[in-house]
Amino acid sequence: MRDVIIIGAGGGGPVVAKELAARGLDVLVLEAGPRHDDPRQQWTSFENDANNPLTGYFRLGPSDRSRPAWFKEWPQNSFVWQLAGVGGTTVHYYGNSPRALPGVFAGYDGADRDEYDVEHRFPFPYSELVPYYEWVEQTLPVQTAVMATKERVFFDGCETLGLPVQTTKTTLEPSYRPQENAILQPGGNAGRTTDTNLLHHPDATGCTLCGYCFQGCMRPVSAPRNQFAKRSTDNSYIPMALTADAWADGGKPIELITDAYVTQVHAENSGGALTATGVTWRDNVTGDSHREEARVVVMAGGCTENPRLWFNSGLPNPNDWVGRGYTDHFFDWITGVFDEPTGSSKGPGSAARLDYPPYGGLENVGLPPALQAFATTLSDSGIRGQYTNGRGMTGPWDGAAGRIMGPEFKDLLDGGLDNLLNVLVITDDDVEPQNRVVPSAFPADEHGPVAKVSFPRRSRSARTNRNREFLARKATELLRGAGARKVYRIDWAPLILHVQSSMRMGASEANSVLDADAETRAVRRLFIADNSALPNAVGGPNPTLTSQALATRTAERIFQRYFGGDPWVAGEAPIVSTDARVSDRLAEIGY
Amino acid sequence: MAVPVGRRAFLARLGVLGVALGSGALLPRSVLAAAPAGRSLHELVSLVRPVLAELARDTMNGLAVFTCPGPDSYSRAQGTPREEPGAMEAETPDFLLEALDSFVPFPDQIAQPVGAALVTGLSDSEVPLDGLESLPAELRALDEALAAVLVNDATLPLSFPVAGMLNLMATRVNPAAVNGAFHSPFSRLTYEEKAEVFRLIEGPDADLVALLDAEFPQPLRNSVSGLLRFVGGALIEFAHFGAYSEYAVFDTDSRQLTGRPVGWRLTGYQPDGPVEGWDDLIGFYQERTEVSD
Repeated sequence: MRDVIIIGAGGGGPVVAKELAARGLDVLVLEAGPRHDDPRQQWTSFENDANNPLTGYFRLGPSDRSRPAWFKEWPQNSFVWQLAGVGGTTVHYYGNSPRALPGVFAGYDGADRDEYDVEHRFPFPYSELVPYYEWVEQTLPVQTAVMATKERVFFDGCETLGLPVQTTKTTLEPSYRPQENAILQPGGNAGRTTDTNLLHHPDATGCTLCGYCFQGCMRPVSAPRNQFAKRSTDNSYIPMALTADAWADGGKPIELITDAYVTQVHAENSGGALTATGVTWRDNVTGDSHREEARVVVMAGGCTENPRLWFNSGLPNPNDWVGRGYTDHFFDWITGVFDEPTGSSKGPGSAARLDYPPYGGLENVGLPPALQAFATTLSDSGIRGQYTNGRGMTGPWDGAAGRIMGPEFKDLLDGGLDNLLNVLVITDDDVEPQNRVVPSAFPADEHGPVAKVSFPRRSRSARTNRNREFLARKATELLRGAGARKVYRIDWAPLILHVQSSMRMGASEANSVLDADAETRAVRRLFIADNSALPNAVGGPNPTLTSQALATRTAERIFQRYFGGDPWVAGEAPIVSTDARVSDRLAEIGY
Repeated sequence: MAVPVGRRAFLARLGVLGVALGSGALLPRSVLAAAPAGRSLHELVSLVRPVLAELARDTMNGLAVFTCPGPDSYSRAQGTPREEPGAMEAETPDFLLEALDSFVPFPDQIAQPVGAALVTGLSDSEVPLDGLESLPAELRALDEALAAVLVNDATLPLSFPVAGMLNLMATRVNPAAVNGAFHSPFSRLTYEEKAEVFRLIEGPDADLVALLDAEFPQPLRNSVSGLLRFVGGALIEFAHFGAYSEYAVFDTDSRQLTGRPVGWRLTGYQPDGPVEGWDDLIGFYQERTEVSD
C-alpha cells in the first residue's frame, strides 16, 4: 500500500508529490500521457509537430503518436486545450504567475467588494494563502520578466491609459507591469545573440527569447533539465520529486508511471464514512489494468478529466456540483497592426500585463504563424464581412468582430507577423452551474464514457459579459495608444485554456465539491489538487500559480490530517528547483 | 425499379453523381452499366471507394483555399486568386485528409450515422441534372455500392461525410454548383458562397439538423446541432492552422525542415531559419528587476 497516489502530473499534482516526497512519504504519480524525458529527441519547436491537437507531441492522447488522440464531446464551437503528459498544460504555458486578486477571497473588504463573484469566494482570506504563494514563488522560481520589443510596445499603450505601474506581487488596483513569470531571467549571452554557438549553457542561462514557449521549453541547449528557462512542472516540480532524497533530509523519491490512465477511484465505507482506498489504471501500451491501494488519493487530472473520473468511478454527487461551475476566463482576442516592428514572435509568449480589478485583465501574446492563423479564426461571430452568426459586435475596433481569414488575413500579414501585437482578454467570469462536464452519450473509449464539456452558447452572466466587453474596449484603447494602425476584435469562441473550478472548493456545502482543505465532501481521504479545486476564476489572473499555492497548502493538510505530521511552510525555507543537487541526481537517473 | 428523381438529385448534390458519372467522371459508365451481371457488389464497392476519396480530396481543395488562397485554379474559381503561395502549395488538403481519416478520434458509431444520413437522405430540391436523366441502371448500381460502403466499411473515412455535408450545403446555396469544373460542388462556389455554406452549418441550418437527426437514436439526437456548430468552426480553424504550419516541409524521420514553409514565407517568420534564441532583449521596465509586497 502506498501512502499517497496522485492522479496526473500536470500543473498541480507534481506540487503535492514534491512536497510529500520531501516529507518522506511513499508517493506514486500516475500520468496518462507521455514522459517527455528527452525533449531534444522528442520535441522540435515546430508548431504542427508540437501543437497539432490530433498528432502533436503536445496533445491529449497516448505516447504513441501513430494512434489517434482521445475523443471529447464539445457541443458548441469551442476548443478545450487539454494535454496529456508529464507537465500537463504547463508544458505549453507561458509561465505567467500572477497572484489571484484579493477580491475573490473571504473577508475582502475593499471598496469594490461587491463587484466580484461574491457567491463563490475562497473559503479563507487572501492573507492565508500568501505564505504558500511565497513558497511556490521561491521554489519555481517566479521572477520579474524582462522587456523585449513586444513588451515595449505594450507598455507604450499602457502609458496612455492613465494607470499606475504595479510594483508589488499583490494587485491592489487597476495597473500594469511586466509579468511575474516562472521563467529564469536571461543571463550571459541569452537575449543578446542569435548565434546558436553562443547560446549553449552555461554561456547562456535562463530565457533565450526563442519564442517557443507554446512548443515546450528545452533551452538553453545543454542545460540540466531543471535549469531550462521555463518552470513548467516537467522542468521544476517533477525533477524535485524524482530526486527528493538528494535535496531533502529524509526525502523519498516518487515513483512516476506514465502512459497510465486512471479509470477508477475505489472507495468503501470505513467507520461510517465513504473512504478512498486506491485506484485502477490502464497501461496505454499493453492495455493491461493495474490496481493499487493507498492511504490517500489525490486527483489532479484537470478540470475536464477529474469530473469524468468521478462519474466513471460511481462516486456520490449529493449536491450535483461535480463538474459544474467550470470557468474559462471567457477569453477574447484583439489584434493590432503596426507600421513599426513589434517583435511579436520573439521572447516569452507573454511578458507584460495589465490587471483591471474587478473586470479581469489583459496581456500581450506573441505567436508563431500557424497559431496566429488559428487564433484569428476561432470566432463565434462568423467571418468578417460575410456573416456574423448573430453577433459581430462593433465598437472602437475596426469593423465588426469575427474571423479574419482568406484574403483578409493575407492582407493583414502584408507587413509580416512581427508587425502585429495580440492582446488576450482575460475575463473574470462567474461560476455558473450550467458550464459543466457531464458524461457524453457518445460511445465510450477504452477508459470509459468520455467527457462532454458544455458551455451553453451565449448564456453567460451579465457580470461576465460586462467584464469582457469592458476589457475588449480597454485592449483596443491600449493598442491604439501604442500606435496600432488597425485593431481587430475576433470575439473568440470558448477556448478552454485557463480552466478553473469544475470541482470547486467552497464555504457552502450546497455548491461546492471540496471543503476548505481540498478534501472531497463526499469521500474521505480523497483530495483534489489542480485548477479544478479553485473556488472561482481567481479574478482573471492566470490560474497556475494560485493552484500551485493551494496544492502546497493541500499537501500540508494531507500530511497533518492523515500522517500525523507538522506543517512546514511557516517555519522552513524552500529549496529552489534549479538546485545543483537536483541537477546532479537527474543526470544519474537519466531525466 | 428506377431510382427516384429525388434520390438522383440528392446524390448529385453530394457530388457523388458527378464524380462517378458526370463529364470527366472517374468511373467509366460501363463499369456501372455492367452490373450486376458478372460483377459482385464487393467489386463494385472497391471501385467506388477511391472515387469517393477523390471527391473528398477535391472538396478539401476547395476548403483549403477558402482559408488561404493562392495562385491555383481553386482560388481562381472562388474569385480570390493571389500571386503569393497559399494552401495548395502548403499541402493543406493532405493535412486535412490525413487528420480526418486517420487521427480525428471521432467514434465510428457517430461517423457511420452521419455518413448514412448524407447518403440515404432524400431531397425535394429541384436541382437540374443536365445529361444525367437516362441512367437508372447506373444510378441503382452506384446507390447499392454506396450503401455497401457504409454498411461494410469497418472505419468510414471521416473526410467522406465532411465532404458530403459541404457539397450538400453548396448546392443549397447555389443549385447550379451540381455541374461544372472540379468534382466537388463546394469547390465550384465563390468565396462569398462558401461563406454562406458555413453560415448555414454554424447556424445551424434547421434542414441539415433534421436530415442528420433522423439517423440518430436518442440521447444522441440532441447532440447534432452542437456537433454541427463544432464542426463548422473546427474545419475553418484547423485548415487555417494547417495552411500556415510547417506540415508540407517537415521530415518526420530527421525532424528537420526540407524547405521554407509557406506560412513562414507569408509571415516573414524566422527569416534565417529556426533559431535557439533572439537578440531582442531591451532590459527591465523602469529598471525594476524584482518586486515584493
